Parts: sequence; C-alpha cells; structure tokens
Amino acid sequence: MRILVIEDDAGITHGLNLALGQQGWAVDSVDTLAKAWAALKTESFDAILLDLGLPDGDGTTLLKKLREAPKGGTPDPSTPLLIMTARDQVAARVRALDMGADDYLTKPFDSSELAARMRAVRRRSMGRSEPTLRRGKLVVNPSTRQVHMADKLVELSVREFGVLLALLEASPRVLSRQQIETSLYRWSEALESNAIDVHIHHLRRKLGDGLIQTVRGIGYFVPEDTGP
Amino acid sequence: MMHRPSLQRQLLAWTLGSLTLVWSVFMVIGYMTGVHESDELTDGHLASVASLLLAQPNTSFRERVDVTELGVAPGLKAHDYQKSLSVYIWDQEGEVIEKTGPAPEPSYDAEEGFSTLSLGNPPQQWRAYSRWNAEDHARKITVLLSIEEREALAADIATHVAAPGLWLIPFVAIVLTLAVRRGLRPLMELSARVRALDVNHVNQLHAPPHEEFQAMVDAIENLSGRYQAALRHERELADAFAHELRTPLSSLELHASSLRGALSPEKYEAALGQLEHAAARTTAIVDDLLALARASRTELADAAQTLDLAELVRDIVVEFAQAAYESKHELAVSGPNYLLVRGHPVLLEIALRNLLTNALGHTPAGTVVEIRLNDDPLEIRVCDDGDAKKTSSEAAQTGAMVVGLGLGHQVVQRIAAVHNGEFVATGPDACGWRCYIMRLSIGDQSDSQG
Repeated sequence: MRILVIEDDAGITHGLNLALGQQGWAVDSVDTLAKAWAALKTESFDAILLDLGLPDGDGTTLLKKLREAPKGGTPDPSTPLLIMTARDQVAARVRALDMGADDYLTKPFDSSELAARMRAVRRRSMGRSEPTLRRGKLVVNPSTRQVHMADKLVELSVREFGVLLALLEASPRVLSRQQIETSLYRWSEALESNAIDVHIHHLRRKLGDGLIQTVRGIGYFVPEDTGP
Repeated sequence: MMHRPSLQRQLLAWTLGSLTLVWSVFMVIGYMTGVHESDELTDGHLASVASLLLAQPNTSFRERVDVTELGVAPGLKAHDYQKSLSVYIWDQEGEVIEKTGPAPEPSYDAEEGFSTLSLGNPPQQWRAYSRWNAEDHARKITVLLSIEEREALAADIATHVAAPGLWLIPFVAIVLTLAVRRGLRPLMELSARVRALDVNHVNQLHAPPHEEFQAMVDAIENLSGRYQAALRHERELADAFAHELRTPLSSLELHASSLRGALSPEKYEAALGQLEHAAARTTAIVDDLLALARASRTELADAAQTLDLAELVRDIVVEFAQAAYESKHELAVSGPNYLLVRGHPVLLEIALRNLLTNALGHTPAGTVVEIRLNDDPLEIRVCDDGDAKKTSSEAAQTGAMVVGLGLGHQVVQRIAAVHNGEFVATGPDACGWRCYIMRLSIGDQSDSQG
C-alpha cells in the first residue's frame, strides 16, 4: 500500500515513515498543502494521512478539493483519507468526517491503531468487510501479515507480501509493473528494473504457479475463484 | 428555598402605606372640619332663632306648658338636621314669659352670647345663646340645644364628609397594585432576560429599550463580551498548548513503537535521536505551561523583583548565538547598557526565548534578527528582515504562521499581560522588517545608561 503523509512536523513524519514502513507500506511525505496537491496530481496513492494544521492552510481545504475532483482522473477523489490532528473537539471531528474524511485520529496515537485504521479504510474503499483475503486455498491476513496456503504458513518477505497484497486487492484487474512498483516503493527509493519480476518469481515458487497469471506486455493479475 | 425580598412587593407596600397615611390624615382633617362646621352651623342656628323670636311683638309670648317635641308628633317630618331647640324668654323682672323645648331652665343672669351650660339633674350639657332685645331691654331670650344632639349632628356631618375616603381606599389600592405591576413589567422582563442570558453564546441582551436600563444593559453586555473574549482566548491558548504538546508526544509514541520492530542500525539511531528531540520539546512546553500556570498579576506582585532587563536580554541572546550560527542567522542587540525594572525574571526570559525561537525558526538563512530594548516606552522588540530574504513560497508559508500566532506568541501575549503590558506584531515594512513588540508597564527603577 502506498501512502501519502501530509504533515509539517519533521519528528512525526519521521516516526510515521518508520512505523508505516515496518508494515511494508511505501510512505511518501510532504509538509505543505501545495506540495500535497502537486503529489496527488502526479501520483496515485492508496491512502492519505492528513494533518489539519499546516503552514499554508487548513488540511480540510485539501480534503474538500480532493473530494470535489472529477471522478476517474488524478487525483482520485475516492482515495481513502484519514485525518490525524491535535484538535480533539467533537465539532472538528464531525466537520472533517462530514467533509469526506474516512477516519479521524487524535494525536498522540498508537502506531498499531493507526495501521489498523489504515487497513480498515482501505478495506472499506475496496468494498470488503472481511479482514482476510482468500483465493482458493490461499488465505492472506493483512493485519498480521501472515499467508497460509492449504493451512500451511508461508514465509514471505516484506516486498513479496506487498506484491501479493496489491494483486489480490486489485483482483481480477491486471496490474502493470509500474502500478505494482508505485504501491511498494517510495519516491526516494532506487529500484532495479526487474525487481517486480523477481518478486513474482519468488511468489510463484512459494505459492504455486497457478495463482498469479501473466498478461504479456501488460503485467500480472490474480484471477477470481471460478468454482468450488 | 431562600426567601428573597421582592422589589414589587416592597414598592407596593411603600405606595399603599404612604397612600393610607395621607388618606388617614385627610380623613382626620375632614372629620375635624365636619365637627367644626357643624358647631358653627348649630351656633348660627341658635343665634338666628334668638333674633327671630326677639323680632316678634311682646304680646306673642305667653307661658305654655304643653310643649310638643318636634319630630315626635305624628305628621311632622323628622329631618336629620331637625333638632330640638329649647327657648326661654324672660321679662325685665326675670319672669319666664315664654318657654319651649325640653331644656331645664337656665339662669336668668347668664351673660349674653354663646355658652355651654350644665343643667338639670343629672346634669346635661347644653349649648346656649342668650341676648336681650336691643330696643328696650324688655325681654331676654336664651335658645338652647343639647350638646349630645349637637355632637351627634357633628359626627353625622363629619362621617358623611369622610366616608367616601374609606370606600375609595380599597379601590385605589387595587388600581395602584395593577399600575405598579404594569410599570415594573420592563424591569421584570429585563430580569428574566438577564437570568436567561447565556454568556457562552450571546452578547446581546435584547433588553427593553428604557433609558433607565441603558447603563446597566451596556455594562452587562460589555461584561459578557469581555467574558466571551477571555473564554475564547483561553480556548485558543488551550488549543495551542494541546497542539504543541500532542505533536512531540505523537513523535515519541511513533518512534517508541517503531523501536520495538526491526530497524536498520541507521534508522535505529535516527529514531533514538528523534525520541530525544521530541522529549526535549515536550519538556520545554511543559516548562512553559507550568510557568504560565503560576503566572498571574497577583503572583507578580509577590514574585516581582528588580532586575537588569538589558543584562537579561544580553544573556539570552548569548545563549542563542550557537543556534543562530548553525541556522545562518545574524543576531544583534541594541538599547541601553542597563535598565533596571521590576518584573518576573523567569517569565520575561520565557517570553524572550519564545520570540527568538520563533524568529530563528520561521525565517530563512541570512536573516538579521535584532533585539531592540527601549526604556521609554519600556519595550522589547524582536525584529527580523526575514521577509526580504524569503522566496515567494517561503513568504506565503510564513504569512500564514504569523496570522495564526502560534503557541510562542500566545505565551508572550500572556506574559506581557501579566506585566500589565501588551504584545503586538508590526510589519513587514518596505525593507522587509517585521517586529514583535512586548510592551511592559512595570516601570524602570532608575535611570538607564546607554
């Protein structure tokens, strides 16, 4: 999952990078609304973490702008957005939620709670209520980061898990290599040209060849279950 | 429930009490006037009868013993004021030649004119009028009226004069009660509005427009406005503190939890560094909070001490020299060499540190930060030419910060208020200089030397 953190405090940004990075998520951060809007217009994010008190204005202006953006374009107005702020008044929470925020966290917060809420808003945005993803004998739990194949635990690296999750969440859509890369890697991270192919190769070796399918010249996908 | 005095009841009691008193005085005067007038009336009656009888020829009188009491005989009209007059007429020798009425015979030697006689057995009081005929003193006449009858007449007249007053009192009291209640209605309305006033939300009292209320309504609205402003300020200050405290606490929480997971040595060190930084920041904010919580004008009176403000400024600027060097800022101080004032040294230190921290933190490298100390008026100015050094995007960001007045400025504002002063921001001027001025009204203790 690729997350955009919009926060002006360097300490919190650093902490979020570490805490969310440990979840295997790619975190990009900006410290102003202007930079955030520029990032949203050029990149696609799975979720946004927004602080309200920013140097160039209130975070709710960006929220409003995002939700009013045309559908199907960039930025995507349906991108899940979670607000994190020091404002704890009920009125502020209600206002933000009414404006289209998917969740609201008051600082300080526990990083595990933040991660759980991020997963929940992501799940909701994809129309899922189940915390686990299933395909045939494969069961993936995003919160514990555990993968079981035919009831046997399968060890995956952070990146492999990320690729598998991205494909399962997009299923049965085909994801290009670039789409998979953007969900896994931050702007600042250097990337080998065949990194995704290597991860797919490892996943097929651990989970079997039938799970991840290739569409030559485009990318990869996980087909839906077709029968019992 | 505690019994409270009622203005309406008090006003009614005073009004009705005063009315009753005045009414009673009028009734007493009316009664006395009635008695007096009836006395004059009966005296005049006695004199008239005497004159009338003396004008009769001498032959008209002969002694009669079959006296018929007026008003008793059937067929005669008994009028309220028809009284039983008695008449005695004597000749020159003192022989009674005519007598009528129930009165016992008075003394023939009685003097002319009006008198009150005690006659009969048991004695009764009689009002009498005696006179001789003027031409030849051949007849003397005395006309008498029972004092008892006379007083009954007086009481009757007086009662008729005063009676309407007695009947009118309850009616006037009811009318007055209604009038007082109606007259006090605006006051009751004002009272109800003041009772229902929610100072947290409403400034306007919407009181009745009566002139008498204006001063009070203005005062209440003014107080309400000041209360709301104070409340708003306190809320803003609490929000600012909450924001400032929660930010490093969030950093602490995130870094502490990330340290439990797997981190590379570099990230581990960075997380530790951020933990230390956040802890130091939290400590500084808590120090500010405690200092402010203890700061009050009352405490200032106790804790105030004479201090050299110029030295305090220099000491703090020296402390910031390294930070300014690292952030590529130029620090400068101007003003008198020493300036003795009475103030709270810890609070003044906190204020100046906040202003310098803000100046170094929110201006670009190369900015000159100058602390100007003035003795008349007593003020500390922290000025910077940061706006002249900023790129356009930096200027937009700083502009938003300045308008918002962060926690540092809130703290300075409070400290200035504690010192009976004010905190204002000016600029930027044409050269890009922006000043944050803390004016103090604590007075210098001696002449400064520059």
